[in-house]
Amino acid sequence: MTQDKFEELKTEADTYWETRSNGNIPLIRIGTAMCGHAAGAYRVADKLKTVLSERSIEANFDEVGCLGLCYAEPLLDIKKPGSPRVFFNNVTADDIDQIIEGYLINNVLPESNVLGYMGEGEVPESADAMENIPGIALQNRIALRNAGHIAPSNALQYIATGGYSGLYKAVTTMEPSEVIDEVKNSGLRGRGGAAFPTGVKWSFLVGSPGPTKYILCNCEEGDPGAYNDKGILESDPHTLLEGLAIAGYATGASNGIVFIRHGHDGPIDRTEAAITEAYENGLLGENIFGSDFSFDIEVALTGESYVAGEETALMEAVEGKRSMPRFRPPFPAAFGVWGKPSNINNVKSLSYAPEIISKGSEWFSAIGVNQSTGTAIVCLSGDVNKPGLYEVSMGMTLGQVVDDLGGGVSGGRELKLLQTGGPLGGVLGPDSRDIHIDFDEMRSAGAIFGSGGIIVGSEDVCAVDLTRVLVAFCQFESCGKCFPCRLGMEHLLEIVERISNFQSKPGDMDLMRSVGGTMEAGSLCGHGQLGFGPIRSAITHFESDFKSHIEENICPTGSCNRPKIVPKNTRPYANDFATGD
Amino acid sequence: MADKINLTIDGVEVQADPGSVIIQAAMDNDLYIPYLCYYPGMKPYGACRMCVVKAEAPTPDGSYRPLPGSPASCTTPISEGMRVETNTDELVSLRKGILDLLISEHPHGCLNCHRIDLCGPTDVCLRHVTVNDRCVTCPKNERCELKDTVRYMEMELTTPLTYNNRHLPLEVKDPYWDMDMNLCIVCARCVRACDEVRGDSAITLKDRSGRSIIGTSQGTSLLESGCEFCGACIDVCPTGALVERDYKWDKAEKKVTSTCPHCPVGCQLSLDVSKRNKIIRAIPERTAEANRGMACYKGKFGLDFVNSRKKIDKPMIRNNGVLEETTWPTALDFISEKLLNYRNGEFALIGSPRGTNEDHYVGQKFGRDVMHSANVDISSNTHPEITKPLGDMTGRRTSTSRIWQLLDTDCVLVVSSNITESQNVVSVPIKQAAANGTKIIVVDQRETELTRYADIWLRPKVDSEIDLIGGFMRTIIDESLEDNEACQSCGEFTEFRNSLWDYDLTDIEATTGVPQDEIRNAARMFANAENASTIYGLETISPQIREHCAKAIVNLALMTGNIDNGPSGIYPMFKGANEQGARDLGACSEYLPNYVATGESAVGMTNLIESLNSGKIKAIEIVGDSPTFDEDQVGDFYKAFKQSELVIAHDNFESALTEIADVVLPSSTFAEKTGTYTNLEGRVHCVNPSIGPSSEADEEWRIFSQIAQRMGASGFEYRNSSDVFVEIQEKVSSYTNLDLDKVKKNGQIMRKENQDFQFAVVTRAEVSGDTTNSEYPIIFAPGRVLQQPDRDAGIDTSSDKNTITRTEIVEINASDASEHGIAEGDNIKLEGQGFSMNGIAHVNGIHKGMAASTSLFGSLVEDLANSGDNDPVLKSDSLRLRKVRIEKI
Repeated sequence: MTQDKFEELKTEADTYWETRSNGNIPLIRIGTAMCGHAAGAYRVADKLKTVLSERSIEANFDEVGCLGLCYAEPLLDIKKPGSPRVFFNNVTADDIDQIIEGYLINNVLPESNVLGYMGEGEVPESADAMENIPGIALQNRIALRNAGHIAPSNALQYIATGGYSGLYKAVTTMEPSEVIDEVKNSGLRGRGGAAFPTGVKWSFLVGSPGPTKYILCNCEEGDPGAYNDKGILESDPHTLLEGLAIAGYATGASNGIVFIRHGHDGPIDRTEAAITEAYENGLLGENIFGSDFSFDIEVALTGESYVAGEETALMEAVEGKRSMPRFRPPFPAAFGVWGKPSNINNVKSLSYAPEIISKGSEWFSAIGVNQSTGTAIVCLSGDVNKPGLYEVSMGMTLGQVVDDLGGGVSGGRELKLLQTGGPLGGVLGPDSRDIHIDFDEMRSAGAIFGSGGIIVGSEDVCAVDLTRVLVAFCQFESCGKCFPCRLGMEHLLEIVERISNFQSKPGDMDLMRSVGGTMEAGSLCGHGQLGFGPIRSAITHFESDFKSHIEENICPTGSCNRPKIVPKNTRPYANDFATGD
Repeated sequence: MADKINLTIDGVEVQADPGSVIIQAAMDNDLYIPYLCYYPGMKPYGACRMCVVKAEAPTPDGSYRPLPGSPASCTTPISEGMRVETNTDELVSLRKGILDLLISEHPHGCLNCHRIDLCGPTDVCLRHVTVNDRCVTCPKNERCELKDTVRYMEMELTTPLTYNNRHLPLEVKDPYWDMDMNLCIVCARCVRACDEVRGDSAITLKDRSGRSIIGTSQGTSLLESGCEFCGACIDVCPTGALVERDYKWDKAEKKVTSTCPHCPVGCQLSLDVSKRNKIIRAIPERTAEANRGMACYKGKFGLDFVNSRKKIDKPMIRNNGVLEETTWPTALDFISEKLLNYRNGEFALIGSPRGTNEDHYVGQKFGRDVMHSANVDISSNTHPEITKPLGDMTGRRTSTSRIWQLLDTDCVLVVSSNITESQNVVSVPIKQAAANGTKIIVVDQRETELTRYADIWLRPKVDSEIDLIGGFMRTIIDESLEDNEACQSCGEFTEFRNSLWDYDLTDIEATTGVPQDEIRNAARMFANAENASTIYGLETISPQIREHCAKAIVNLALMTGNIDNGPSGIYPMFKGANEQGARDLGACSEYLPNYVATGESAVGMTNLIESLNSGKIKAIEIVGDSPTFDEDQVGDFYKAFKQSELVIAHDNFESALTEIADVVLPSSTFAEKTGTYTNLEGRVHCVNPSIGPSSEADEEWRIFSQIAQRMGASGFEYRNSSDVFVEIQEKVSSYTNLDLDKVKKNGQIMRKENQDFQFAVVTRAEVSGDTTNSEYPIIFAPGRVLQQPDRDAGIDTSSDKNTITRTEIVEINASDASEHGIAEGDNIKLEGQGFSMNGIAHVNGIHKGMAASTSLFGSLVEDLANSGDNDPVLKSDSLRLRKVRIEKI
């Protein structure tokens, strides 16, 4: 593809998108990301198609990604010619007739299910503007800017909304070193958990010998309560592909690999479809935009292993081996996938790159606070009224997240804890409302922002029970390579289970600390080094919960008295081991 | 070697090789850091975390920058000026924490039993009912690295962690090895040894987190998983999880390093000898240059014959048709008296490939000087053509490079040699090299393990190899790929080059059945490689063309400059363990000592039968060491032996040979001998007596000396084998450089003679058009590989031994198939002389007149393990081509 061709493509895309989104035929969009899918969006879509064909209504239909308001799914919106987009929340198949009959044909809004309108034009009276909903108003969408608005794998829709112009700008007007400087200046830090400056990370790969070098994108995303990587790939995979290609250009890499956990079917399908479209339109492959830059992207899958998200284990998995972490040094920049120089980035980190290049580093660094620039993509779930996938500016307080975005703790209960940054992260107590989403501030508070998951726990959550579930997860997901993690997690789980079963032994707390200390100092990778984290932070914030279990044999919330559902117990061959009930 | 790196470990200034990791640097300087998953020579793994240290590296401003955390010393590279602490309180407590976790799942009665101080070293406490976790129930008790480490760390063993035994059933159904996964610490040494060192993936890590454990890669049995039963996994296992089944519970009273008697690699094995004077285990020596810690199924599991109670223990003389035991003086007197009658060329002496250099030397001296007979040979010398042309053309009498230089070669050409089974350890560097990108070309009718690694596998028609190699050489000349300098420096290059014009590739395509393009590609691959090596065994090639074939192979190496040049060598693959020594010392029919030709008239293995039948040989003395006289190769020996007037047999066991012998002398096994072996590289190793004399068996050199002295000869007054060795050094020029101390320590390469290289003109042989007679019209090429992942092995696990139950597939040519009314998938029967097998027909593009089948190595091992034979490995099937007929059943 030459430079002229891209201009042509851009024109074609603009015309296509103008006709589709603002033409004479209504455009109906439905959110079919995981949240929508789980809420029944495909049943709604099927019904919608049936009704439209039965009634011979001419309308364009797109499956789109997640607008962030997961609580409102299935979320349907109708853009009639001359009208704004009108959103219908929590739609079921039964509501379709009414919506089509009422709004599409007769322009009368149903009494329920109407969430609001977005855009300009004739406004139905009873509808409120979407901007007034906190879940929209408080968001500042960069990586997710297209999510919920365009069909995910459709390259033309993406180009029409400004897509690939960042890559175009980088390749045609900038030197690779300028791209890296731009990313460094933006202050972008890796969103995978370690918050390492992305530009600096990229610069490690620049000096490594080629010609074959890999940029890897990590979408293992196995944390319970984290779905923002999957959200991006499902809602707007082209953003990632563009970011990956920019990273490839900046670092001189020849290949990009998007690593997705086996079983994340939506992200896998949509990313693969997007890659195909990108190749078809000449946006990937040989001599992109007529330059010397050639770049290939493929999707690699792995077995279902949490540790495969660790960067060196991920490389083993890409090579088709058992996903166990390697030791370092040698570091990936010297010896990565297939022994070639490699660089691993999180989906989110890469997805910021197109906008940073398009709009400049100053624009990006102006967003956020302190050393945490840009936005945070929060996966809000748990005991909260409005769970969702919210992209907000860094620096928002956790209180705003829970109360404003999330609409408060569900059932009018009190906030007890926030579990952040995945199971290896930690828990924060009820006094954490004033903590800002800031990598460094969260870390000093004893938690990490990590991958962005925030699970809200109400007063009904027992800290011991929650700890048990988190530890069981960490134990189950240990790869089994290094001794401290393989054996330590096993014993930690056993002790926590003992406590939650009111069968604790004297000295159990100290024993946990000593095993945890061994794991922390001795483990090979982060999984074992952080494996004691959930217990330590639970003990710090909720020591009383532990005390009442140990000393009084009482679970204050009663949840430890109920039958326990835990991940499969993988202690060695102890199938008959009593686990809870 | 680059400059050494200086660093400080625990205050001690040490030097180490650049690129080492800390633990290696410590080991090289005799400092100990506890470790469990690391193993010298294998890549670091970093799992056990026992070898953690504190380290700091100097910065340019003179200060020291500490490495973060407690890095594992097995994965941390050393740097100049580094300071390492290995025993701080913090590190010790971390190690103890990890060991606490480890013994919480490892049975540790051996460490904390209350009877530890009460029990003597040989006590068996099985009647002590209060002990339920016993040291004696671990096969590696007192050989366990975990136990040693726990003791070194002075653990108190008072952890409150729950003890959690895995309660897994033992896996004891596969041949030779026992697997007790309750003792496994999941260090994955075995998996890495199998994968990384041996290039097999027979065992693997399975499951995850606390359940991760070792298993076979196919999940059922080693027989189907690609195991070559080399025992490398057992050798590296730190605990009792993997052990040799035989003598599992026996303890070593002493350890003796000796040389394996099964093939010419000359593996150095550390032999464990029990108090009952048995060899209970063989552990390859890690530092030995010949085998570098490797062994194979023969050396690891095939030495039990020395422990047999069926060994002949007294001399016997046949009296009225019955062998009667007698004393040595009587037997020797009898022999020396009898032999006086056959001192004019009517006597033949056949030595054993397991004889030491001392045996060979004295034997040939006796045969030649006392018996005045040139008829001296060893029983494995059935393919003298393997080495003779190489010697004639280059003066090299051994492989021209060393075994482990194959690691650095860029291309390996393997012609008609199944080294995986015959000289197994040679295949290890080849497989490792292949994993690093070395190209492999295999020329063989049989599917052998190396064909699975081959970039190009050529399967020519039977006995068309000369044409095929000629095709290589013609391509190289046509495309000017030869090494011109090397060619010009060899004699007779012009004649040689002119002889190649006869090799027309179109014609060769017809005679070999191999497409021209493939021949050209292979030739280019070999010629373009910077360093190429050639391995040849002539195993499938008929006797009448072997010599020409070997010449062609040597020509190919000469013209590409791939001979005697570091990692580009030529390796003749004969089979006898000390056949090399026999040739060097003149104990073969072709040569006197120093490779002086004997002339045409000498009788050797190739013409022994006709000489016996014609009455030329009337008396024969055979050092049996239980030889295999291969019927197809050299005819029916036993029938011929009966023709002779006097048969003297030296042997370990009663055999078909002793049944016809007039005198039987008990012969020592290698385990009772003192002497030297020479391996295929020309490396002289010591053979040391590991088990003491258990019978009256004696070594050949002493027996021959005594007979010679009784016959009035002088020059046989040797007191011990060292006297013989001294004489060898005087008489044999290539052995003059040897220093017995060096030989004893790690083996020493004998001196190589320098001689100008010569090409040999090889005319195209008539490819013996129809060698098949009407009764057996098909030539059957049996193949064997370690694993066929595409085909189910059909393992029957129902009895107490795993067995392979599948029926083999037989490849046949379409026209042969239609001639016999055979269709794809039919059950067919192959029958030859003393051979029969059933199979399923697979009609494909194999040459007309040929059939082939590929079995699993597992079935060979199964046969060996279940064999009732005294020395099963010696008689293991060698995959030779057979003439058969096929029919549908």
